[in-house]
Amino acid sequence: MMKQAAQRAIEILESLGVSYGDARAETATMEKMVFRNGRLDQGIVRDTAGLGVRAVVGGAWGFGASTGFGLESVDAAARRAFEIAVAASGPAVKRLAPLAPQRGLYRGPLEKDPFSVSPGEKMALLEQVSRETMKDQRIRECYAWLWFENRKRVFASTEGSLVETDLTFSEPFLMATAVAGGDAQSRSLQDGARIAGWEWIEKCDMKGWAEKAREEALEKVLAPESPEGVMDLLLDGIHLSLTMHESVGHPTESDRVLGWESNMAGRSFLEVGDQRSAVYGSHLVNFMADNTLSYGLASWGWDDEGVPGQKWHLVRNGVFQEFGTVRETGPLVGRTYSRGCCRAMDYSSFPINRQPNFILEPGPEGVTPEDLLKDMKLGVMIEGRGSFSIDQRRLNFQFGGDRFQLVRNGRIEGPLKKVIYRSQTPRFWGSCDGIADARWLRTMGVLNCGKGEPAQSARMTHGASWARFRNVNVGGGK
Amino acid sequence: MTAERAVEIAAKAVEAGGTLHASAFVSFDRVASVRFGKNSITQNQDTGSVSVTLTVGDGSRKASVSFEDTTPESMERAASKARTLMEASPADPEYMPPPEEGQVYPFISDSLDPEAAECPVQRRIEAVKGLIDTAEGFGLEAGGICSNVHTVMAHASSTGNLASHEKTAVTLSFTMDRGSASSFRQLHHESWGSIPWREASEQVAREALANADQRDGEPGEYSIIFEPQAVADLLPFLAWSMDARRADEGLTVFSGMQGKQLSGQRFTLRSDPDGPAKGIPFNDEGVPSRDSVWIRNGTLENLACDRYWAAKTGREPLFLPDCLEMKGDAGSTRDLIRKTTRGILVRRLWYIRFVDQKTLLLTGMTRDGVFMVRDGRTEEPIRDFRWNWRPLELFERIEALGAPERKSYAFVPPVVVGGVKFPCV
Repeated sequence: MMKQAAQRAIEILESLGVSYGDARAETATMEKMVFRNGRLDQGIVRDTAGLGVRAVVGGAWGFGASTGFGLESVDAAARRAFEIAVAASGPAVKRLAPLAPQRGLYRGPLEKDPFSVSPGEKMALLEQVSRETMKDQRIRECYAWLWFENRKRVFASTEGSLVETDLTFSEPFLMATAVAGGDAQSRSLQDGARIAGWEWIEKCDMKGWAEKAREEALEKVLAPESPEGVMDLLLDGIHLSLTMHESVGHPTESDRVLGWESNMAGRSFLEVGDQRSAVYGSHLVNFMADNTLSYGLASWGWDDEGVPGQKWHLVRNGVFQEFGTVRETGPLVGRTYSRGCCRAMDYSSFPINRQPNFILEPGPEGVTPEDLLKDMKLGVMIEGRGSFSIDQRRLNFQFGGDRFQLVRNGRIEGPLKKVIYRSQTPRFWGSCDGIADARWLRTMGVLNCGKGEPAQSARMTHGASWARFRNVNVGGGK
Repeated sequence: MTAERAVEIAAKAVEAGGTLHASAFVSFDRVASVRFGKNSITQNQDTGSVSVTLTVGDGSRKASVSFEDTTPESMERAASKARTLMEASPADPEYMPPPEEGQVYPFISDSLDPEAAECPVQRRIEAVKGLIDTAEGFGLEAGGICSNVHTVMAHASSTGNLASHEKTAVTLSFTMDRGSASSFRQLHHESWGSIPWREASEQVAREALANADQRDGEPGEYSIIFEPQAVADLLPFLAWSMDARRADEGLTVFSGMQGKQLSGQRFTLRSDPDGPAKGIPFNDEGVPSRDSVWIRNGTLENLACDRYWAAKTGREPLFLPDCLEMKGDAGSTRDLIRKTTRGILVRRLWYIRFVDQKTLLLTGMTRDGVFMVRDGRTEEPIRDFRWNWRPLELFERIEALGAPERKSYAFVPPVVVGGVKFPCV
């Protein structure tokens, strides 16, 4: 039914004489269970199905969508896309990077379908984890959740592409908040979502998380506040996933550089001419984009324009290489191709330029976090994600974290709280002078990257091994 | 989608629920928008979708299902899924049946404009092309969105409540820039006739040009003049923290503060769903919205409270009805500038995030225009800066307030806050 709906929309667009058109038929099934303080706070399942249609007429886009795949609504969506494209049309020509017709089926890795696990088993796990986390009465708030989604998509275009995708993601999450001494502090344990099934939940071992979340939340609420001054940082992969997302992923999106996001998400400090020349960080810094990473949330086989997933360097040996692009922006930033970064939140959203999966490539074999720690005279080790803010050009940023430990003369002295650091993007990545090897690589699957108008959320995976940064401005919020 | 049809769908979903308790919330949104960047249209869409959320309960357990297909067969399938999930759920110690019959929902006047409900594409194209022409005429680049949304919402419950609400929103949000010089405006109203885009586009172009050649601001103590947009950017973080239960559990800045002074005498914050910033008459549980004062003259008067916590603590259920008003005074931002001898004018705040929820410490950046003010005049632009502020502390030092303006969900004045140390981190 999905294939027929997509193909019918294409036939209608062709009969109307569009210069380009595509259609995405999608079904999505979601299940989410959220426990707050040991009680099922939210148990919800959601089913959606529909079709999104894009058309180019007279150099202008039009986009329409239908709920369901009924003939009448499919026809209406295609005609609506055509009509509003006509309303905006003019003498301009829309140039898209060339793409050979694509065909195929991509299924993400899935060992055990999470929808085959009974709701009772899932809730029993969350209840047990919550109970264990809240064993100490100073833990006043505990959130534990499981979130699963399966999304099937058929993409067809007037250029002859017809591809299918079937993806399931699974996400476990646990957070404990301790209240003591007039303060409240939280500790979250997460590696985010993966394209995977129930096996990812089993591997994460939420039961094992419970004690750690509880004890580290208590440790944090009772800890002294952050020292202030210029010092070194040793950051773990989950923490860096956020710093990378904000200071590398967004500024290397081509639509920002072209000014298409100037009103909301913002622009970038990079310019089109910075490709293969701008210094982004130290020579150790290599950011590898990878939309073929099997469990990565942006690995869809093909993006929402039918462009295959690819692997390329955003930054190589500290030098910026090229932007993540879509078919329309590729030629505008000097490329003859798209990097396949066009994704929509759902069938009823216009697909836009999104971040790929990417990692900070690990350091040489044999380098451990202890090696990086031992010549830090004064610094902070940070694990996990906390407060984050960055200016609209993605230069001036401030990050917090989730777990902090004071380092003095190469040794961990004890826990801290309320640590934030501030820097500027190239200066920060330029201060990276050590990265642990691949054994320490951790990735974070992000489900809620906000961008676009109307606002859309998107999913992608980032990761890194422990990495050290010198002489960063650290302080508590005052 | 009509309001009558939305109510019919909600009632049928409740019927399909087939449990002791059931409630349904239906939301239809037609979203028609034209997006533009670098003086070209980059997106153009017109989509409509309906979402139904059905919650079923058996007196001790409950579960929800959300779906889009409103055929009887689909509703039956969805209800069956909800019942299966409910039966697998543990007993809920906080179980609440739907609100009892006879709930009275406020009428929100002038929430719907018939022309805007039709989402006319030519109106959007005309406004966007006009803005782009203006920007090009001034040698600037324009980016933004012109959107027209028609929303229909409905609620039904097994306890006999039925309600619907219909509204329209026209929003023109745009930036004009050249290099780092930029300005921004968001115009928002229920009807097209109240979107003065021609006048605003020229103003924004001139403001952007005046924002060229920025310097670093000189360290010192200043009065900060927040334009209404900046106030509207800041207030949601305060509003989102105003939860009675989390306060009672010791988790927020409002813990133990009910009835106590926590900010300045000139700070009053309320929500009137039928006020100048149009709110909604009911939430997805079918609880009526109310005209509520959250903070009156700096004293915490009310916190949002769900039905379970309200019953447990002797409060009335209360929720934030998608609108906020901050009490103002008379005069425009320009009038406030004239009365300021040493200040910094801030047009917009950006990327605001919590740093510490317990003390309501926020961080963020300025954006699209920061100017030094001396002896009643706006002088040179300065570079955007990072700030870490506690809004309740800022509002302890309000020196002056102007006349409130509509900024999307908010009706807020320009605000002058004295004694702010710069740089702000």
